[in-house]
Amino acid sequence: MKTFPILLKTELKLSLRGMDMLIFALCMPVVMVLILGAVFGDRPAYDGASHTFLAQSFGAVSAIAICAGGVMGLPLVLSDYRGKKILKRFWVTPTSPAMLIAVQLTIYALYAFASLALVSLTATLLFGMRLAGSPIAFLGAYLLVMVSMFSIGALVGGLARDGKMAGALASILYFPMLVFSGATLPYEVMPPLMQRIADALPLTQGIKLLKAASLGLPAEGVALPIAVMAILALVCGGVALRFFRWE
Amino acid sequence: MEYIVEAQGLRKTYGAVQALRGVSLRVQRGEVVGVLGANGAGKSTLIECILGVRKPDAGEIRLLGMHPERERKRLFAQVGVQFQQSAVQERIRVGELCQMTAALYPQTTPAAPLLAQFGLAGKLRQQVSDLSGGERQKLFIVLALLPMPQLVFLDELTTGLDARARRDVWQCLKQQKAQGLTIVLTSHFMDEVEALCDRVLILRHGQTHFEGTVQQAVAATPHQRLEDAYLWLTDDEREDNA
Repeated sequence: MKTFPILLKTELKLSLRGMDMLIFALCMPVVMVLILGAVFGDRPAYDGASHTFLAQSFGAVSAIAICAGGVMGLPLVLSDYRGKKILKRFWVTPTSPAMLIAVQLTIYALYAFASLALVSLTATLLFGMRLAGSPIAFLGAYLLVMVSMFSIGALVGGLARDGKMAGALASILYFPMLVFSGATLPYEVMPPLMQRIADALPLTQGIKLLKAASLGLPAEGVALPIAVMAILALVCGGVALRFFRWE
Repeated sequence: MEYIVEAQGLRKTYGAVQALRGVSLRVQRGEVVGVLGANGAGKSTLIECILGVRKPDAGEIRLLGMHPERERKRLFAQVGVQFQQSAVQERIRVGELCQMTAALYPQTTPAAPLLAQFGLAGKLRQQVSDLSGGERQKLFIVLALLPMPQLVFLDELTTGLDARARRDVWQCLKQQKAQGLTIVLTSHFMDEVEALCDRVLILRHGQTHFEGTVQQAVAATPHQRLEDAYLWLTDDEREDNA
């Protein structure tokens, strides 16, 4: 089928022309690595730690693009395309609007993987970081966190009454998660009370999972984060699928 | 007689509002039919029910002999639709929009000759948002024609255009009509309807108020022009006094 590749190419071009994701999903995480690397160098995460502070932050920084795409980009584009009746227009063609949504999901997944590649390259080449854990386990965790965050975004974008409401909800979800889930401000430097509040944010659990996978920490600690991610993905994804508004 | 559009006894209620109260529409191959009526008379609901994007509470619909919902994919490979106030993706260029639209269909005609015919050659790299109102509407007709449809639906095509742009759009549609295209359109402009339509369906409060040729509509009133005839036909006061 030629439909999907052509839609993907065009929508990707439009998205890149928009710049937002270039800045927030691709540049910002790399800048974070540069700052963390410059400030902490190869200092250990804590006295006697076997991994560096940068390695400890790797999972968190690699989640920035997932958060930007899933919780900000996706809901905005879905509500925008519904508000402009672009989705409705697809109903009167031989292609279904679900195709356009699949294209958008693919675009944000591409951003996330591109960001992961850039962050990995910057951290390993410039600051000599090494992935202690299994790359396969990390990729698996990354996919799970992505599916979970994207289903939150699909829920917001699919059900919000209009673009304004989607924008407001996306901001309410995005900014606290970006700042307090450990994606930018390292979780480890937060005071205990703040950590406990942060634990309530879904992305915090996702980042714990990524951290455990990247550092090769024992598997016992990750049952809760895995459960939270999986349940979120099922519930939000299911509700979004069931109650999606085409117009 | 071959009917391309066959809609029988369509009813649609939104809450307490009866948007359609048993409306029927039949369109023959090669005909241009105008659906007229005041805002809220049920024009858009009728078109959307016929297209299957809205589910009527009752009634039967066949387009090209197909059911618009059940045979959606096969049907809309041969039908072009332009909704009222169509918006497109931000920052999309004319060429990209044509390519993307063409990708949605199994078979299309090349966009370049159509764009040239509609005076849009050389606009390929321009953003759609930078086109003038007339150019945009002509582009939307081009998009509706890309799949080489047998039937097109055009909803309020020239609303908001200046006189010159409207004439341009009419000219384009007349050419398509001459080539045998079947067109269903809605409009608020009676000069446009007079220029383009073979038959009209006038809706009032969700019911068929008049159906027939433009000449019949005029002949049914003491007036000479369709605009006056339309106003006479849909005048509430005259009805109430009668």
